[in-house]
Amino acid sequence: MTRLTEIVIDEALLRDACAGGESAQRALYLALAPATLNLIRRLVGHRALSEDIFQDTMMTFYERLPQFRGEAPLGAWLRRIAIRRCLMYLRSPWQRARLCLEPVDFGVAAEVAALITPGYAGDLIDLERALASLAPTARAVVWMYEVEGYSHEEIAREFGRSLSFSKSQLARAHRRLRAWFEPQESRPSCSVI
Amino acid sequence: MQRDLEQRSTLADLLRELPHEAAPPYGWTEFRDRGEQRAVSRRERAGSRSRTALAAIAVGIVAFSLRLGEPLRPALHSPDGTNALGDTHVVGAGAVQTQPEALPADSGTEALERWLASLPDEPALVRVGNRAAVTGLEDRLAEVDDLLTAERVDEARPARLLALQRERRQLVSSLAQVRYAETLADASR
Repeated sequence: MTRLTEIVIDEALLRDACAGGESAQRALYLALAPATLNLIRRLVGHRALSEDIFQDTMMTFYERLPQFRGEAPLGAWLRRIAIRRCLMYLRSPWQRARLCLEPVDFGVAAEVAALITPGYAGDLIDLERALASLAPTARAVVWMYEVEGYSHEEIAREFGRSLSFSKSQLARAHRRLRAWFEPQESRPSCSVI
Repeated sequence: MQRDLEQRSTLADLLRELPHEAAPPYGWTEFRDRGEQRAVSRRERAGSRSRTALAAIAVGIVAFSLRLGEPLRPALHSPDGTNALGDTHVVGAGAVQTQPEALPADSGTEALERWLASLPDEPALVRVGNRAAVTGLEDRLAEVDDLLTAERVDEARPARLLALQRERRQLVSSLAQVRYAETLADASR
């Protein structure tokens, strides 16, 4: 999986895009959109909601692009916008209620992946289900810490919470993930598909 | 697997191996179209929000003037052109009393206090919120009175004395307004 921060953008292309060049902006979109959507989908968990946030994120990205000064890699800059958008949604009481009511679609994604990806390991399907069993906030913390490489301080700052919030969320999420890989009878009943 | 998960790097590796999107959810043209649609709907929402806010403010102003403005007007000027100050009286149980208004700054406080003293101690029925407001104002008045006494004894800071007197005037005026609203509400029941 290519992460946003690993994507290298040609400087000339970036200059053109910052100056408002349509073709350069299109090329940036093609380069950055898949990783952006993937990050958002992992943080939020719902396909339709992820596409909404993706649209918002990319619109903000293009609005602010002329102000980009190149102090950080473009991918890291876009990642920050995307994560802030996701956390804004996760913090909203309305969205929280919506996320609780709608089933997470990770399990379906994993099954489809298992069908179309040769050698797709069963452990990964289990991991998808385990991730789906986490609360949205815990899932976001796990993803930011484990995959995106955020520190506890950075996570706490992004969430506007204390350092212990990040640590306790991660510890609890690890405990729940471990529980998913314990013998079948101790699993939550909703794991059966 | 359990052992694997206990090692952070392994969990991170597993998470990175999860299936991911290989293409944007929709093409560049559709992205631009959706962006324009959102911008238009955002502008419309902002417009309707400001219209709603304006309408709410207008309704509030009208309601306030209907509730308080109208009954005040007769009290402002008596037919002979003199101020109604000090001529307050209780018409009967539950009746509305006129409120002294348009007072000169110096005599105003005393007159308002006389009017407040003429009110019954406990109106028939009031909301807890109103009582809390009255109690709060009365407490603050008592506090300011104490400070005023102390300042008068010291005679050290005339500016502070003036500020306290000004605050006292404002508090008495606020108290009078709240009590007047209470009296009106009581009479309309």
